Amino acid sequence: MSWPRSVRARLAFWHGLALLFVVSVYAAAVLLQVQDDLYEALDSQLEGDFGRAVEWLQNGAPAGVPAAAADASTRDSDGGADVPWVDAWSPDGRRVFDAGRQPGLPVLSGPPAGWPRTPYSLIVAEGTRVRLLVREARSGRQPVYVRVGRSERFARQELGEFATVLGLSLPFAFAVAVAAGYLLARRALAPVSAMTSRARRITAEHLDERLPVENPTDEFGQLAGVVNDALDRLERAFATLRRFTADASHELRTPLTAIRSVGEVGLRERRGEAEYREMVGSILEETERLTAVVDSLLLLSRADEGKADLRPAPMSLDDLANEVAADLAVLAEEKRQNVRVEVSAAVTAVADRPTVRQAAINLLDNAIKHSPDGAVIRLVVRQEGPSAVLEVIDNGPGIAPEHLPHVFERFYRVDKARSPAAGSAGLGLSIARWAVEANEGRIEVESETSRGSVFRIVLPAAN
Amino acid sequence: MWVTTVSVVSRILLIEDESKVARAVQEGLEAEGCEVTLAATGDEGLRAADTGHFDLIVLDLMLPGRDGLEVLSARRGAGDATPVLVLTARDTVRDRVAGLDAGADDYLVKPFAFAELLARVRALLRRGRPEPPPRLAVADLEIDAVGRRASRGGHQLSLTGREFTLLEYLVRHQGQVVSREQIARDVWREPSRGTPLDNVIDVHIMRLRRKVDPEGSARLIHTVRGVGFVVRENEP
Repeated sequence: MSWPRSVRARLAFWHGLALLFVVSVYAAAVLLQVQDDLYEALDSQLEGDFGRAVEWLQNGAPAGVPAAAADASTRDSDGGADVPWVDAWSPDGRRVFDAGRQPGLPVLSGPPAGWPRTPYSLIVAEGTRVRLLVREARSGRQPVYVRVGRSERFARQELGEFATVLGLSLPFAFAVAVAAGYLLARRALAPVSAMTSRARRITAEHLDERLPVENPTDEFGQLAGVVNDALDRLERAFATLRRFTADASHELRTPLTAIRSVGEVGLRERRGEAEYREMVGSILEETERLTAVVDSLLLLSRADEGKADLRPAPMSLDDLANEVAADLAVLAEEKRQNVRVEVSAAVTAVADRPTVRQAAINLLDNAIKHSPDGAVIRLVVRQEGPSAVLEVIDNGPGIAPEHLPHVFERFYRVDKARSPAAGSAGLGLSIARWAVEANEGRIEVESETSRGSVFRIVLPAAN
Repeated sequence: MWVTTVSVVSRILLIEDESKVARAVQEGLEAEGCEVTLAATGDEGLRAADTGHFDLIVLDLMLPGRDGLEVLSARRGAGDATPVLVLTARDTVRDRVAGLDAGADDYLVKPFAFAELLARVRALLRRGRPEPPPRLAVADLEIDAVGRRASRGGHQLSLTGREFTLLEYLVRHQGQVVSREQIARDVWREPSRGTPLDNVIDVHIMRLRRKVDPEGSARLIHTVRGVGFVVRENEP
């Protein structure tokens, strides 16, 4: 038999099995109780029989035989009626009284072995059980053992019928439990079927579909909610990727167009050597730009694959700020800008220095590029609890709120029309973000239009 | 020119399947006085290496048939110790390690600046031979590497530390065009391509030129557009 595959069938099966177990235990308990009750009744009958028998024996018996005992003599061997037998034995093993003897009863010479003085069962022949009670009494002046007995047939017959009824009802109960369990499971699992058929339709092209949520608070509703959240993120990631591919193509196309135009125009007529040199130089400049874009893309894709080779170690963040400021100082000087490093105390971060340096250079480069001539740019280094913080603060034109969430996206440009300078293809901030996040830090931006921007690198500080 | 420091002409085996790149590199190296043999596949390269004697093998890793790493392993397995400069478009750390493990002497990532290729080729050809001390002077520009001072026509130049290092680097490579990438790596010690130092380098060159080549004097620092910079007496 193959194991049922569907959750519904398995639930129904186990549900039925559990119910069967409970009902079986219950039935067994009831059966035992009924048996006890039946024997108790039989035994109290025997007590009564014994009392009456002793009375006869003392009141001049064995002349007067009880009516019931007389009837017993006429019945067939396996006992057609529920009547007692009585016999009495002298201590030396002679039967002194006998009424309606049951065949197969042993001779009673002296007290029986393991004499219980309470009723006990005895198998007298194959399938014939009798209940016996043996006690001492007096016949006249002579001590005797009096034995009374009754057939267990009727008690056992009643017990058997009751057991049959119970046994026959068990499979029926199991079947009902399985069927009910199956229906219940099917109803309960209906949302799963709905989710399955909906999920089949969701592909990369149809990422806007969502799983149905019938009851957002139950388990299936929560599951569907979680899956839908994952689909939201996936859809956003796909949208970003699509825009990224389009932007990357555009970014590569621009220098390619320049190369092509310069080359084609150059060949249209004869020119002097100097002019040709100028054109070849112009083409080479564009290839530098292409190379820069491709290098940055490779860096980011390698970062995406987690293949970057990072060696985190304690590093002085204030040293880094000073170094980066010194490296880029000439660019600020060209725009008569002032780059100030503000360090209150030595701050040590745990990070891979070259990548953090790259992030800091990109942020400062960005600030210098976007701040007007004569602006002041501050590099602030401080420790905030367990974090080492480096802020690049400018008082430039700021970033409009609608652009703010996107500034770290690849190729995202606040000013779409602005032509990129060589080597800065709108990837600088993306690389900065990657560099910081790869070092288990985070990068943040705050900005206010016409007031300036704050870019913040937060890294784990050394203890 | 520079090969005159070596008494015989350097023979180079170039194994590269991309014909445009191969022809350009061949021409460039021949213009520098080398004798270049070209092979377009790994097998062709191996045959050429078996029959001729070469001072240097320039080997592309991505080749039809047997790839560059196999060629390299085969040569090293045969006990050939000819220096090998590997060219590749893949530059993950793993690729580098694989190349160097297979016995490459140096490694250059495509797209490379020809100036950079030339510098590496020179370094490998010179290997084992004592390098003649470079004359740290061009025309009337003189560099005192120990005192970190420079003078032009007897007048002391007032240079910042970085400006001096940059000038010294250019003068040590006088006559050779150096790319911004080389300068970023060797002067700024910047290991990563993709860090925006090009503008920084341009500003430094501009300032250096203002100090070294004042109005009225012969220009020594030249810009080769789209390629890099070179220090020499005459126009390039």
